[in-house]
Amino acid sequence: MTSVYAKPVQELIDELGRLPGVGPKSAQRIAFHLLKVEKGDALRLATAIIEAKDRVTFCQRCFNIAEGGMCALCADDRRDPTILCVVEEPRDIVAVEKTQEYQGRYHVLQGAISPIDGVGPEQLRIRELLARIDGESVQEVILCTNPNLEGEATAMYLSRLLRGLVPKVTRIASGLPVGGDLEYADELTLGRALEGRREVDG
Amino acid sequence: MRLDRVWLQDVRSYATADIELSPRLTVLLGDNGEGKTNVLEAIGWLATLASFRGAPTESMIRQGANSAIIRAEGEREGRALLIETELVFSGRNRVLLNRQPLKRARDLLGVLRVTVFAPDDLDLVKGGPAGRRRYLDEALVASHPRYDALQSEVDKVLKQRNALLKGAQGRLQEEAAFTLDVWDAKLVESGGRLAEARQHLLDRLHPLLAQTYDAVANRPAEVTARYVADWADAGLAQALVTSRRDDVRRGVSTTGPHRDDIDLRIGGLPARTHASQGEQRSLALALRLAAHHVITDVTGSAPVLLLDDVFSELDPDRSDALLENLPVGQTLLTSASGLPPKATPDRILIVRDGRITLG
Ligand SMILES: [Zn+2]
Repeated sequence: MTSVYAKPVQELIDELGRLPGVGPKSAQRIAFHLLKVEKGDALRLATAIIEAKDRVTFCQRCFNIAEGGMCALCADDRRDPTILCVVEEPRDIVAVEKTQEYQGRYHVLQGAISPIDGVGPEQLRIRELLARIDGESVQEVILCTNPNLEGEATAMYLSRLLRGLVPKVTRIASGLPVGGDLEYADELTLGRALEGRREVDG
Repeated sequence: MRLDRVWLQDVRSYATADIELSPRLTVLLGDNGEGKTNVLEAIGWLATLASFRGAPTESMIRQGANSAIIRAEGEREGRALLIETELVFSGRNRVLLNRQPLKRARDLLGVLRVTVFAPDDLDLVKGGPAGRRRYLDEALVASHPRYDALQSEVDKVLKQRNALLKGAQGRLQEEAAFTLDVWDAKLVESGGRLAEARQHLLDRLHPLLAQTYDAVANRPAEVTARYVADWADAGLAQALVTSRRDDVRRGVSTTGPHRDDIDLRIGGLPARTHASQGEQRSLALALRLAAHHVITDVTGSAPVLLLDDVFSELDPDRSDALLENLPVGQTLLTSASGLPPKATPDRILIVRDGRITLG
């Protein structure tokens, strides 16, 4: 099918349509909005994307957002390297850090197991997690995935996978709103959930 | 729970209608196609946010109108109840409860409860297992709202499990098998709980079902209802192991609570295949009434009973028997064929030409 739009317009629509949560209709709307606004405004967006892509990367150790090779948390040698808190996304680290209850390190899976979305264990940073457990003499892994179905399934998967590989595997205590996201839990609740974590046997 | 008055504006055949209801039995009389059922449908919408005819909500808006308004006034748990809703073509339907706007229409669920019996309910007996599972699940949620979350969890687990099976394209790699173990465990956990809850509910329904059937059937007969799960003997965990090969080959979950059924029998014979249409209809009505009794019992207040065209296949004696055995609480009933001889409804309304008048 040939496009009704000029090639650059169609390309812009296609690129926008690849973003999460942006359907073809929204992609079209955003594209025409960008064509309409002042050139300076559109360029600021383009520059911001380039800046972020150039300067911000994922931490080569924990896959948190980082400037340079390693994130601030991995670079901080006051943090206990023998405890790993496994989360789904970098934003979940922010939620856990806000509790001020946790002094260990993190590992970001970059998602949760969800066959509907085509995400299996091989799409997550699980291989890298296993390598860290091997190399960093980790004593405890805290499974801090979201308290929804996919998060629970991912936690169960990991607890089975890590059995025998780490002395202690724990899961944050229930009490978090079921079906919710970690990032929406308030500090006090999440802090208590961390404190009350239990050893899991999968 | 009681509705005293219902106002409709631009709802299906009605430009406006102002309907006063009896706290006991109100009968809507009128020829077919005059719009009796539309009144029950509108009241039902307030309870479930959906048409019990399975029609899209937009289709309840009168032709040419932009929106429809359903307003109902009554009593719930000793306090005044006022529900006001505006149904729109696109966007959100607006709902006010006691003059307070609700953030989400869904928050209205559970405020008003209804039991509906409609001619389509013959499918409960005659149709496939899905309708019978829905019957149990709806009664579960009506008596214990928390089962809503369990049901949607089971649905989600099955969707994830099926996506994994489908993705395997007939051959399960070792890695995927390990992931499937996790979804199996989730299905055992939530699916097992759902099946157990359905089983308990059916145990409770069973004696009531026999009783109500005797009241509304032409010939008394022994009625039995048994929960059937092909995995019950082995247990769900073992059944999933056994069926895994099949599941992978076919790319779907071939066993679990989503395949269960109720085995309904009249006089020892399967009702779906061996009963007459009259018996099947009596049994369908008995199923609805039995659930109504259980929900009344568990929640401590009777849902509003909406009986659509219930006399059409009951003979006059059985129709009288039904009216004599009406459960406590409020009933609305439609009929195109008049009333049985001994009927003494508290209020008769005549529906004609889009208008409702006192009979
Ligand atoms: Zn890091």
